[in-house]
Amino acid sequence: MESNKKYWKGLEELQNTKDFAEKSKNEFAEPLPMEEVLNEAGLSTVAPRRDFLKALGFGLGAVTLAACQKVPVHKSIPYLVKPEEIVPGIPNYYTSTFNGHSVLVKTREGRPIKIEGNPDCMLSKGSLDAKGQASVLDLYDVSKLKGPVLNDADATWENIDKFLKQELLQVKTGGKKIRIVSSTVNSPSTKAAIADFTAQYPNTKHVQVDAVSYTGMIKANENSFGKAVLPRYRFDKADLIVSFGADFLGTWISPLEFSRQYVSKRNNTALEGKKMSRHIQFETGMSLTGSNADARLPLKPSEEGIALLNLYAALGGVLSGSKPLANNPNAEKAIALAAKELSAAKGASLVVSGSNDVSIQIVVNAINALLGSYGTTIDLDNPSYQFAGNDAEFVEFVNEMNRGEVDAVFFLNSNPAYEFNDAKAFTDALSKVKLRVSFADRKDETASLCQVIAPNHHYLESWGDSNPVEGYYTIIQPAINPVYNSRNAEQGLLIWSENPVTDYYQYIQNNWSKSVLAQSGTTWKELLQKGSVTLPAKSAGVYSFSRELNSVVQTIIAESNSLAKGGENGIELHIYQNVAIGDGKAANNPWLQELPDPVSKVTWDNYAAINPKFAEKLGIAELDLVEIKTDKYSVTLPVLLQPGQATGTVSVALGYGRVKAGKAGSEVGKNAYPFLRLVNATLQISTSASISKASGTYQLAQTQTHHTIEGRNIVRETTLKNFLKDPTAGTGHAHVNKYDLWNEYEQPGHNWVMAIDLNACTGCGACIVACNAENNIPVVGRDEVRRRREMHWIRIDRYYSINDGDNRITKEEEIDKLENLDNVSVVHQPMMCQHCDHAPCETVCPVLATVHSSEGLNQMAYNRCIGTRYCANNCPYKVRRFNWFNYWNDSRFDNYMNNEYTQLVLNPDVTTRSRGVMEKCSMCVQRIQAGKLAAKLDKRKLKDGDIKVACQQTCPTNAIIFGDGNDPESEVSKALKSERTYYVLEEINVKPGVGYQTKVRNTVEV
Amino acid sequence: MRSISLFFRSVTKSLILISFLSVATANSASAQDAAAGAAIFKQKCTACHGIEKAVVGPALKGVDTKYDEAFLLKWIKNSPAFIASGDAQAVKASQYSPAMMSAFPELSDDDIKNIIAYVKVGDPKPAVDPNAAQAGAGGTATPVGVSNFMLFGLLAVIIIAFLVVLVLNKVIQTLERVMLQKKGVAIEEEIAVDKDRFAGLKKLSKNKKFILFIVLLSVIFLGSAGWKGMWETGVHTGYQPVQPIKFSHQLHAGVNKIDCQYCHSGAYSSKNASIPSLNVCMNCHNYVTASEKYAGKTSPEIMKIYTALDYNQDTKQYGENTKPVEWIRIHNLPDLAYFNHSQHVSVAGIECQKCHGPIQTMEEVYQYSPLTMKWCINCHRQTEVNHKDNPYYDKLIAAHDKLKKGEKVTAAVLGGLECAKCHY
Repeated sequence: MESNKKYWKGLEELQNTKDFAEKSKNEFAEPLPMEEVLNEAGLSTVAPRRDFLKALGFGLGAVTLAACQKVPVHKSIPYLVKPEEIVPGIPNYYTSTFNGHSVLVKTREGRPIKIEGNPDCMLSKGSLDAKGQASVLDLYDVSKLKGPVLNDADATWENIDKFLKQELLQVKTGGKKIRIVSSTVNSPSTKAAIADFTAQYPNTKHVQVDAVSYTGMIKANENSFGKAVLPRYRFDKADLIVSFGADFLGTWISPLEFSRQYVSKRNNTALEGKKMSRHIQFETGMSLTGSNADARLPLKPSEEGIALLNLYAALGGVLSGSKPLANNPNAEKAIALAAKELSAAKGASLVVSGSNDVSIQIVVNAINALLGSYGTTIDLDNPSYQFAGNDAEFVEFVNEMNRGEVDAVFFLNSNPAYEFNDAKAFTDALSKVKLRVSFADRKDETASLCQVIAPNHHYLESWGDSNPVEGYYTIIQPAINPVYNSRNAEQGLLIWSENPVTDYYQYIQNNWSKSVLAQSGTTWKELLQKGSVTLPAKSAGVYSFSRELNSVVQTIIAESNSLAKGGENGIELHIYQNVAIGDGKAANNPWLQELPDPVSKVTWDNYAAINPKFAEKLGIAELDLVEIKTDKYSVTLPVLLQPGQATGTVSVALGYGRVKAGKAGSEVGKNAYPFLRLVNATLQISTSASISKASGTYQLAQTQTHHTIEGRNIVRETTLKNFLKDPTAGTGHAHVNKYDLWNEYEQPGHNWVMAIDLNACTGCGACIVACNAENNIPVVGRDEVRRRREMHWIRIDRYYSINDGDNRITKEEEIDKLENLDNVSVVHQPMMCQHCDHAPCETVCPVLATVHSSEGLNQMAYNRCIGTRYCANNCPYKVRRFNWFNYWNDSRFDNYMNNEYTQLVLNPDVTTRSRGVMEKCSMCVQRIQAGKLAAKLDKRKLKDGDIKVACQQTCPTNAIIFGDGNDPESEVSKALKSERTYYVLEEINVKPGVGYQTKVRNTVEV
Repeated sequence: MRSISLFFRSVTKSLILISFLSVATANSASAQDAAAGAAIFKQKCTACHGIEKAVVGPALKGVDTKYDEAFLLKWIKNSPAFIASGDAQAVKASQYSPAMMSAFPELSDDDIKNIIAYVKVGDPKPAVDPNAAQAGAGGTATPVGVSNFMLFGLLAVIIIAFLVVLVLNKVIQTLERVMLQKKGVAIEEEIAVDKDRFAGLKKLSKNKKFILFIVLLSVIFLGSAGWKGMWETGVHTGYQPVQPIKFSHQLHAGVNKIDCQYCHSGAYSSKNASIPSLNVCMNCHNYVTASEKYAGKTSPEIMKIYTALDYNQDTKQYGENTKPVEWIRIHNLPDLAYFNHSQHVSVAGIECQKCHGPIQTMEEVYQYSPLTMKWCINCHRQTEVNHKDNPYYDKLIAAHDKLKKGEKVTAAVLGGLECAKCHY
């Protein structure tokens, strides 16, 4: 069935603005200066004969001289004593832990070059998110400190230890307080080290504070059930998920784990069982999670609490003094519908909220208890320790400093001078502390205010452990000697507190053999090999809710009123984390900065997201600069028109506007932390503000507007109802012309193909960073992205469509007439070289630099390429990338390939491409060759799954499957046999090697 | 030029070798049993014993005077049993080291007597001309063979000889003419002939066809020389840099027949053949010091290993002050080409010599193959895939058999010429 739903890549395309129409015709973002050359002056320019000859002679001379250069002598320096486990040329893998997820670190000749998820990891099951993939680059970051710093001067560790022991002794005799401020610590050994330190200096207290706080939830759980923890959510057990602003696929608590769970109810296996979960999202800005929802409703921050109260009431909860949702009849209808569905799905449903307001979270708890979620979709007995920060404790700490009660403070993985909403109050208070120590790896905003900076190891250099959820313990082991002169923070604490064990490695080993190893009967070696220990889980108990909600209701209504106070140009400001940069700790990572936001596709900046119709009302156009102002703080940001954004609201991302992040991350975007509001001892992510147009515009570096789909039917989707009737629904198999320009060739060996399930892809972008790391893809920077010159081999295209049940919007004029763009739905489509069997790019290459292999790969021989770019022009999928510069040898692109430290991350099996050369997805041919060779060396057949390409390996939801299409038993062959399979642009008969499975949406007609 | 010099080198080398061998055989004829003993000694004893120097066991010089022959016979045959028998002298001897000497039941009494005879005499080295010995040992201080200076010298001699011949010819001619003059024969004729000769040349220079022919010839000649030169650009066949240690493959792989993979173990499992780390060298050079060739001192080249590792020969301790050995890389593939040794060595079963040449005869390694893409491709076109007993190829071979019966299954047939085999 041909789908006649209309998709558009962005508003420019939807409205077909003049600018867009103009641009879509041009090959380059910037016009070529042909006029300048061809104008009269240009044409009448005379090159004097003598000058010409001079230039010619000089050129010839220069070339001759250059050719006289001796061939460089290459040295080959073997190990003096080769470590037994290292064979040059063969990678070694070590287990470690990133952010509580067990990972495998791939090292070549002793240097980590790639991080991959550990298949044994309970949370990720072998996948990894974009941040984890990018973390290896931070290891070599040149903006890090090269050694410890004492009073702004380079120091030795002996000096630091001597100085601190002396100072701490004075503090101890003085009797004043010592504070260790950190983000959440869930490492048992770090906790033990802090406890030992506290035993030596009894005035010490450990204050945990997270940049983005979950205090509200923790307190609500304490209030409701007496357990001050974050529960473990089980999205894999929920048939119906209703989320109020919780971006659980992108940033909320444990997105990697949640993505896997969520998609397990929506992937091919689930659909073959004729089942699919349903997901309703109420939210302000368009988040990654909202873009995946079956039904998404824009909701202002002020309406969130009210909506939840109404939902509770509709479910039969006893409530007094609620109020209806004014001015949002759609939401009200949706709440009623959600209530009906939730009641039907009791015991298999889940309601979550991204709010940090205790009252709102109490209502959420009440709803979940009413639905019987505890014990099924929510597990309070095996809680998550991923976040444990307490806002109130930190505020109290600032007060203590102000009162002069604190004499010493240590900052561990915490940067309040940037992350705290009232940074000035914090820095003023900090100046009253005598001894200030930071463990930051760089001179960041807080560390630069400290006397001592004792740089901590990167996790790939250090020993450590982690306990992200109850009963799951992981180990961090070093994969390289410290790159710079850094030291474990814990080791410092042990030394300064005169601990009998000062070697942190020994300390961890002692700690583990006492506790987890003894309990589980594992040995230390087994632990290092496996990476983690899982203790048997406790059974999840059922909890009932029995609190009185009167005061909660009053607080919610009061807070709602204060948010919605309006006024002239009044808006509700919503502060969020985006998927790549998050809280801004890794802001100096160029891979993350260049990773496009999953929805807006903006790189290298944050922006003010506004609903297009609302912006029109305010007289604001796209890319205008606007000033967003509260009584305390204001910023000027460019506008991004975001369909689906709640009217009357503006969303701004955190993590930008750092001033001391380093070369790549400083002065990128604007800081939004000061907009956070401390209400009832928790930091709130929304506030009421005003917006006004500032002068000027600002060009955001967006990737999605770079190509146009010319109204072609590229993404296909259907509804669950139609799918159940006809599994091929929505595939829209077009008439394929049998006429063919190309000859058929046998592929007797392998036939490498790929299957991508659009229903499993959430659009998180982990594959993009994994591809960057695997294939040495350069980072080009903001200016070059603006010129459409980003180099990513895999991109995730985001398409909008108007979601209107069965009433498909069939004509583009109809879309124009739509009153609002609230009810918009999104499809994410990973797009890379399709390795067409009849590839149009191959035909037009004048030098045969791109040819086909007998295994179905579209190969690219860089050294043959002369850069005509005909292939890119002839590629129907626009996946070819041209090297406009020598990114690895050009000081203008000082990202990572151009630096002797950061280029250590390059994969030695993949060539770095030179200027003037075309490149594109190679299907990780180096991995294919390595996998084949391994089979040949073992004298065995190649097994399905032996070769995993980088994007597939890291995908949190297994949306990408790669394998041999000639093997009927391979996973990819089975996936491609699915009735949902279609090929992009199959009507042009280029026979792509990548098949897509249609997106299925579980929509219900209202 | 390189090939000429290589040719000269090999010729001189073999000449020197022959002369050395003849001297050696002449010398050893006088000590027949010692020579036999030397052979057994090298085979069985050198792992633990030196004559002049203590290695694992004691230095053996003077052992024949210290113990009587009967004792030595028993001790060498089966020292553990001998000690166990309680012989006072044997027990005392066993206290030299906690490590027990292994038994050699396979040695006959004559063998042992030969060994003792050899130990008494020692190496025949002093009798041999030291220079010849050095040349024969290989990898010594000065490179053997013809230097460029010698080559040019030779050329100069040839040219001078040619000139002398010319001058002599002229002298003969003059003398002849004088003789003719004396006889009264007119010589005007000859002058006329001379004039005619020049005239011919002048005439030729005016012949346009001839000029065209010459120009064409020189264009063809220069063009083909240029073309050849261009092709040779960046091809470093014969590249033979001076290495920091004068390691001789001829000695190690050729004479001692050490398997290539003993040192280059990576070639069998990895893309890199890898240059062995020094701990591999120390497996043997812990006791192999070649001291017999350096008057009891350790060879200066082997000393370089010890220096790099900061190894003290007397205390057998390794120090901290290590220094890596910076070998000069001979085979440089460009970065854009991926090459994997294990694919060729382990999977295809290709001999190292196929690409690296007669490595077992190389005193100093030089680049044997051109390492050009043409060279790779030619081999891929001709070499049959080693698919026997390798199930990986089963399907491919079956499919191919079906398609083309009887044709050779070369690497090229299985996609060995495709770009992304080597370029990614």
